[in-house]
Amino acid sequence: METEYKNVEVVNRKSSFKCKDLVLRFLALALTLVAAVVLGVDKQTKTVALTLVPSLPPVDLPVTAKTAQMSAFVYLVIANAIACSYAATSLVLILATRGANKLVSLILIILDLVMVALLFSAIGATGAVGIIGYQGNSHVQWDKVCNVFDKFCHQVAIATFMSFAGSITYLLLIVLAVLTLHKKC
Amino acid sequence: MASYDTTSSPPAAAEEPLKRSAPPPEYNGGFSPVVDVALRVLLFATTLVAIIVMVTSKQTKLIPLAPGLAIPLPAKFQHAPAFIYLVAALSVTSLYTIVTCVLSALALMTPGGCSTKLQFHFLMFDALLLGIVAAATGAAGGVAYIGLKGNSHTGWNKICNTYDSFCFHTAASVLLSLISSITLLLLVWLSISVLYKKTARR
Repeated sequence: METEYKNVEVVNRKSSFKCKDLVLRFLALALTLVAAVVLGVDKQTKTVALTLVPSLPPVDLPVTAKTAQMSAFVYLVIANAIACSYAATSLVLILATRGANKLVSLILIILDLVMVALLFSAIGATGAVGIIGYQGNSHVQWDKVCNVFDKFCHQVAIATFMSFAGSITYLLLIVLAVLTLHKKC
Repeated sequence: MASYDTTSSPPAAAEEPLKRSAPPPEYNGGFSPVVDVALRVLLFATTLVAIIVMVTSKQTKLIPLAPGLAIPLPAKFQHAPAFIYLVAALSVTSLYTIVTCVLSALALMTPGGCSTKLQFHFLMFDALLLGIVAAATGAAGGVAYIGLKGNSHTGWNKICNTYDSFCFHTAASVLLSLISSITLLLLVWLSISVLYKKTARR
């Protein structure tokens, strides 16, 4: 009787882990999707007074800032798109196998880790370029652009934070999976 | 599904105290502790070389400001926050690797092998450091790419045509930190596969 009770508890704990796993995967899917969309549609046009010839008065020209102009931002969009599609695929796989297939869960842990590395490197690249855009770099005469394109910069920052939260979710997924493995040991 | 669990878990729970007293049949990973130590040594070497290459990257060049007037301007890694972050992250990884390398080697020498708890902690910290090193590599790579190609849309000029040796050092450092993050990835994969095999044997 006592052992039976124990077993029920073990089963409950296992299913709660699976439930957390599903919730975290769904969260990762949502966060990376939002990050990819927010950065993907990021575009701002402003009229900037440019002095083309020093003797003439400055001319007002419309200047557009787009995501596609900066390679680091394109990398973040692509990385988030990959992580998002992977989250969807893994959700389908888990629901299809009901989490009982051990090989599938091992492959999912391994791919989760790859997603952590991919997302973190993209966040690093975007963050570094974004800081240069925000503060400029006086040593190499790279001027800041965020005083002009304020909305564009805010959107980049939001996308970076969303993506960061998504990668933390993937990290938590790994912790959860390893905890489950560790408890079985 | 529930029946599967009820049949598999009680023997494991019952065997728990018994196994502590008699460890011989336990799976201790075969080759994997040796591979683990080797990967950690490789990780230490790559991070250390990457730090040294980055720190010694200073280059001074005469920059012509006006005709007949040229002043020496240095390019240092401290000028970009991304490179400072790379050096800091690699230093943390390097120090961490020394500690874990010693612990891993000690575990290799003791007959019982690495305890599961130690492996678990290694795994968590390895995964965390993987994130930190990957972010640092991405940051330095992103800035170095702008330095190499420039960006015409924001008016950021390329600097690698002027500071060639500085850029070469930076590229080498980024490449080495990429290798070290791949090594960390392999380390975590190795630990996970060992844990997985341990559970599969039950």
